[in-house]
Amino acid sequence: MSTKFINTLPELITNQIISEDTALRIERYFESKEAEAPHKLFVVFGILGSLLIGSGIILLFAHNWEYLPKMIKTVLAFIPLIIGQLLVGFSIFKKKSQTWKEASGVFLFFGVGAAIALIGQIYNVPGNLEGYLLTWIALCLPLVYLLKSKVLVILHLVFATYYTCLVGYFGNGQIPWLYLVMLVGVLPFYYNVIKNEAASNGFSLLNWLFPLSLTITFGAFLDVSSSILYLVFILFFGLLYNIGQLPYLKILKLRKNGYLAIGSLGVVVTLLLASFHRYWSGDFNYEYYSASNFYVPILLITLTVVTLVYSHIKDSLKPFNLFRYVFALYLIVFIVSSYYATAGLVLINFLILGLGITTVKTGVDKYHFGILNYGLLIITALISFRFFDTNMSFVIRGLLFITIGVGFFSANYVMLKKQRSNQNKSLNN
Amino acid sequence: MKTIYLFILFVVLALIQLSVPATMVFKNQSVLNSGTAYKFRTRPIDPTDPFRGKYITLSFDMNNAVTADTLWQNRSDIYVYLKTDSLGYAAVKSVSPFKTNTDDDFVIAQTYGYYQKSNVIDFMLPFDRFYMEESKAYPAEMAYRKASRQGLSNNTYALVYVKNGYSVLEDVFINDVPIGTYVELQKTTD
Repeated sequence: MSTKFINTLPELITNQIISEDTALRIERYFESKEAEAPHKLFVVFGILGSLLIGSGIILLFAHNWEYLPKMIKTVLAFIPLIIGQLLVGFSIFKKKSQTWKEASGVFLFFGVGAAIALIGQIYNVPGNLEGYLLTWIALCLPLVYLLKSKVLVILHLVFATYYTCLVGYFGNGQIPWLYLVMLVGVLPFYYNVIKNEAASNGFSLLNWLFPLSLTITFGAFLDVSSSILYLVFILFFGLLYNIGQLPYLKILKLRKNGYLAIGSLGVVVTLLLASFHRYWSGDFNYEYYSASNFYVPILLITLTVVTLVYSHIKDSLKPFNLFRYVFALYLIVFIVSSYYATAGLVLINFLILGLGITTVKTGVDKYHFGILNYGLLIITALISFRFFDTNMSFVIRGLLFITIGVGFFSANYVMLKKQRSNQNKSLNN
Repeated sequence: MKTIYLFILFVVLALIQLSVPATMVFKNQSVLNSGTAYKFRTRPIDPTDPFRGKYITLSFDMNNAVTADTLWQNRSDIYVYLKTDSLGYAAVKSVSPFKTNTDDDFVIAQTYGYYQKSNVIDFMLPFDRFYMEESKAYPAEMAYRKASRQGLSNNTYALVYVKNGYSVLEDVFINDVPIGTYVELQKTTD
């Protein structure tokens, strides 16, 4: 970015936008900034190297070298673990750079995994993959805090998600409560990153990984009737969206705020799926009575209300944003529909249309083409989906699609014009 | 936090990390050194574990027992007391939902079904995984099938050492030949 900017400096001098002195000062500023920052590529290669070597060792061990005597295999199992421990100990004791800490931490993470795996293999230790992963994750969690390592948090999250999927989706249908313990285990670290390192790349990555992991594992906690399945998912995505709107995260760009992106997309997709006539007519319903039918929605609503109240206290509820209240609106639709199914069907269509229109408006207000087109896409999706429900003639469908297409072009064109005229105005002033 | 405290905390963590595999080694080696060996008749099939490698899952002939107890729960511990039958294979002497006061060897299995009418309790023995060199697990399953077609009775068994309720699976045999060697012999004869 800075190189690109420096390259444009001669042009700015020629056109007398800035003086030569200013150009020199800009160039020096970027040079000093680059000298201070650690070499990013070095960090990436360090971590990537450890990751590959570590997982390579596990794979080599997994081959099962049956000709080696038990004693030698046992000694071999401890070697990567001890090397990893020596490297981490050295990084801490000699106060080495964060690159050192991250790379040695990753190596030790895999060293621990390799040691338990190989000993388990040598002695045919009974126990499934879930138990093995749990031991591995628990033994490495303290490293996150000792090394202040964001890469280890990422590994922790990835493996915790893997564990949860195995228990919740592929196991005996048990609810993987330990996932929540694992999640809480890294929350203090995450909170610290939010407070102190909001500009780092690791922070953006964590802002995507946390909601992604939650979205993947959420289904594993559900043991609910199909009739409230959409409700709990809308409540869940609504909660993610509201987390993304909390003061610390709201100021971030969309590409750094996974909560907002996943929450918004999740709400829209779930609403669109729930807007089918078949669902509201009751064909799809399978009633199943369990305690989670009650406590899951209540917990999600409580958490969402807490985030809203907190935002209100911190004065970050404005400007009004319909997405933040979708959970409450859908709840009303849900209650109404249990008495009048058709009314529910109509209301949910209006809700999606409302979301589309407010998104378009936000896009126009912010001169943001991405948001504008996202809003238009919501409306398009709604109209297209209704074709599956109704017996409209091909002519009407065709005309509707052409109208949407024209709408897309004109909305973007009008906004482009508006933006240009605004730019011209500010230049003339 | 001061570096020295951080370092001390890390040393404690490192010792915990080392203690887990080390305890596994000592516990298992002690059973192999001084436990009693039993042969459990079995049938192998081959799945994969992404971290620990290829293994064969063992499905044992000894998987149920007649019981006088009636209050069994699924997926709970069951103490299976062992004896050796006339052919030298392991057999159930008695089962109990809790540890009883006898000197008999026992293994702790998991219950998975109770039939009140016949008073039979089904259980799964704990040592159901035998890790093998990656190219041998599937041929091992095939070799077992071939051997069981040829023989009149199940001649595949797992050699398990048992000590104080803890069991370690040392090897699996087909016709008294270790399964790894058996697979190789099959390859050369084929």
